[in-house]
Amino acid sequence: MEKLGYQDVNQQVVQRCKGGDHRAQYELYKLYSKAMFNVSMRITNDYAEAEDVLQEAFLSAFRNMHHYKGEASFGSWLKKIVINAAINAVRKRRAELVPMDERSVAEVPDEVTEDDSEWQVEQVRRAIQKLPDGYRVVLSLYLLEGYDHAEIGEVLGISESTSKSQYSRARKKLLEIMKEPQFVA
Amino acid sequence: MKDSLEKFVQNNREEFDVFEPRPELWQHICQELPQTSPEKEAKVIKFNFGERASFSADFFFMRVAAAIVLLLGCGLTIFLMKQQTPDTANTLASNQSINAPAADVNAIAPELPEIEAYYASQIKAKKSELSAYDLKVLGLDEHQLIDNELIRLDSSYVSLKNQLYTSPNTNEIVGALIQNLQIRIRVLNRQLEVLQKLEPNKQQPIQEPQNDDTTNV
Repeated sequence: MEKLGYQDVNQQVVQRCKGGDHRAQYELYKLYSKAMFNVSMRITNDYAEAEDVLQEAFLSAFRNMHHYKGEASFGSWLKKIVINAAINAVRKRRAELVPMDERSVAEVPDEVTEDDSEWQVEQVRRAIQKLPDGYRVVLSLYLLEGYDHAEIGEVLGISESTSKSQYSRARKKLLEIMKEPQFVA
Repeated sequence: MKDSLEKFVQNNREEFDVFEPRPELWQHICQELPQTSPEKEAKVIKFNFGERASFSADFFFMRVAAAIVLLLGCGLTIFLMKQQTPDTANTLASNQSINAPAADVNAIAPELPEIEAYYASQIKAKKSELSAYDLKVLGLDEHQLIDNELIRLDSSYVSLKNQLYTSPNTNEIVGALIQNLQIRIRVLNRQLEVLQKLEPNKQQPIQEPQNDDTTNV
């Protein structure tokens, strides 16, 4: 799921970054800023906050370059920093990240029909943005960042099974939102 | 197990990245980045002439200055010497090419510079010998012919020498170079012989056919 091609291309640039080369740092920024900004945007759901997170994450990545040993691709290393920074930002905003509100599950009708032929990317994307923070984070990490439930549990400090149940609730809620009048294009 | 939503997102993954950070964000990041790490900075030698404590720096400075002066002096000397050589060895263009790429020649044909030096001195000696006669037989046409012949040999020498750097058959080319130098000496020798024969009866310079022979060598 990761863009594997990046790894080889970046090897030299990463080395130069470790030496504090600003041009190499800019090259990495150019390469990753958009993807990382969208990661940050999905988690924080706030443009200004997403930018703060991106800035913080890149600074932290450049400062801790010596910790990057190349065992994973640079992109996924950086992504982890971005995700952690974004989750911290959301946590600061809301004391409770994952709403354990059972009512939201009960409200969701089970027989949501999935006529995926009518789905539009823009529609799905906007529906994700309408999800409550906790659902949105779990669903985004799983669906869009390619994290499995064990990894999600790790970054959120919850168990794997909690992540699974949060995801299925989030998914139901998402489909429900897409059924709302303003989403049916 | 992949459900329809997962598949849909995976198939359209790129299209979900719709946001871009403001372009000036990099400036903000850049400002907070530490400046280029200290070990990468250029070394600055500080000179503190006011204090006697900074003697080591002064000595270092003097050493560098002395080295520069020495290099400049050597360069100037070599330059002036090169300026003078064309006066004495007027037609030997190869003389210049002998000295210039010496380093390359050493790698390809290490024996060549020595050979060149030997023949160059021989040719120079013959020429100075000849020039003594030249004044006396200034009116003769064949002098011009010999000069032309020497110039021709010289240009073929230069092109041979250029081949030396590109061709793999260095031995053959070195052989041809030596032959070229030998022909020059032979030409000069013949000319000398002619002139020596001519000298006793310089009143009658009527040895045209013999002179032609020498130029055809």
